[in-house]
Amino acid sequence: MPEPMLRLEGIHKRFGDLEVLRGVGLELARGEVVCVIGPSGSGKSTLLRCVNLLESPEEGKIFLEGRDICRGADAPSGEAGWHVDFVRQRVGIVFQQFNLFPHRTALENVAMAPEKVLRLSREEAQRKARVLLERVGLGDKLDEYPERLSGGQQQRVAIARALAMDPHVMLFDEVTSALDPELVKEVLDTIRKLADEGMTMIVVTHEMGFARDVGDRIVFMDEGQIVEEGTPAQVLENPREERTKRFLGLLLER
Amino acid sequence: MNEILNQYFDLSQMSKHLDEVLNGFLITIELSLVAGALALLWGLTLALLRQLPGRGFLPVRFLTIAYIDVFRGIPLLMIILLISGSLPFLSFLPESIRIPHWFGRPDPFWYGVMAITITYGAYMAEVYRAGIEAVPRGQMEAARSLGMSHRQAMRNVIVPQAVRKVIAPLLNDFIALMKDTTLVSVIALNEVALVGRDIQSQSFNSSALTLGAILFLLVTLPLARLVDRLIAREQARFARGAPRVGAL
Repeated sequence: MPEPMLRLEGIHKRFGDLEVLRGVGLELARGEVVCVIGPSGSGKSTLLRCVNLLESPEEGKIFLEGRDICRGADAPSGEAGWHVDFVRQRVGIVFQQFNLFPHRTALENVAMAPEKVLRLSREEAQRKARVLLERVGLGDKLDEYPERLSGGQQQRVAIARALAMDPHVMLFDEVTSALDPELVKEVLDTIRKLADEGMTMIVVTHEMGFARDVGDRIVFMDEGQIVEEGTPAQVLENPREERTKRFLGLLLER
Repeated sequence: MNEILNQYFDLSQMSKHLDEVLNGFLITIELSLVAGALALLWGLTLALLRQLPGRGFLPVRFLTIAYIDVFRGIPLLMIILLISGSLPFLSFLPESIRIPHWFGRPDPFWYGVMAITITYGAYMAEVYRAGIEAVPRGQMEAARSLGMSHRQAMRNVIVPQAVRKVIAPLLNDFIALMKDTTLVSVIALNEVALVGRDIQSQSFNSSALTLGAILFLLVTLPLARLVDRLIAREQARFARGAPRVGAL
């Protein structure tokens, strides 16, 4: 059996008294797309942030391409160490709030990390950035500052920016939640294209239609645990668990 | 009324001492620019030291905070006196530091530069800190998630945005700094206040000092207006609809 791209085992994460993740385990094969759904506060975002070590879980293990990347809470802080670089250069993340660098143009946003981290020459980094921005349909916005782009355009720049580091896994954290409804599609289409190209990804989303189309698997989380997982048809149309039914029922009522 | 005019605004006194006062003011400007530039750099350095992450840098952060608290709490005048009065006698230091005459400027000039840099560095560190903390958290996370080190993220993402946010308050500090350079007159640096005071005590007339004050206004008033404009511009950004997330 081939090594899974990503494997999580018994992840626990606490913020003060609040236990946000209570023993989460998950496996992703290479090229697999897992969509994570669930009510807000269920720990979906925290789970993603643990995967690229923006949060460090108190318990549990995370293996990326077979390598244990978790130090646990007792490890010295300061983030020094090979695994942070190892992870951050293999795992790209796109945030709900875009987090583009407002003082740099779209092109510079995408080219910055390849130039500073991968040590490409500026021309090379910008050439690469141009190709990526064209790929997300923004070839005509290279020199615009984020302020002058729509939310959907900003989010596509953010996707291009993450892709510029040649990640092996992409994480999407409710990337359409801050967008006006008419801008959602262009971002989802971009992600769909990536999925078709075989990118391994975890997509936290409230877009059920998208999850059904694109997800190889759907994971339903509630109160810091994975309640149910399976194919989109199983989970969305034929949920076994009471909590899943209730959540999906609430969505349909809207 | 005439007495007031004679004491403070005697034009013949002013024109008679114009050259001396201008020379004094030139020293004031030099001192302000040199000390101002160094304080800007030193303040940024302190602010960055204060932001170093992780447990390993705890002592550095602690020392930096202690430094900032101490030197914000001691009057600049006393720092000037402490440096100029005893630095020359610290025999373990080379003479070029004990009695500096760099770039042809006299030692009181450099004692003043040191004292002002030490003190205003602490003030400006706090201004920079406010700017750094005003940059949304997501900026650091985005930079780090792209594989940048803390240092790279600070340099390329956080500091450029922070500095833009605090140009106005830094300019304010610079205006205060410029006025405070007159304190260096107590260690016999011939800047504008001392020049004016010497003339005052010889002529029993304050017009030369008034002239010096007017020269200050010629610089500080435009700077103050510039600060107001920068602040207004910043506020206009926010008035234009809700501040977009991630927008400056």
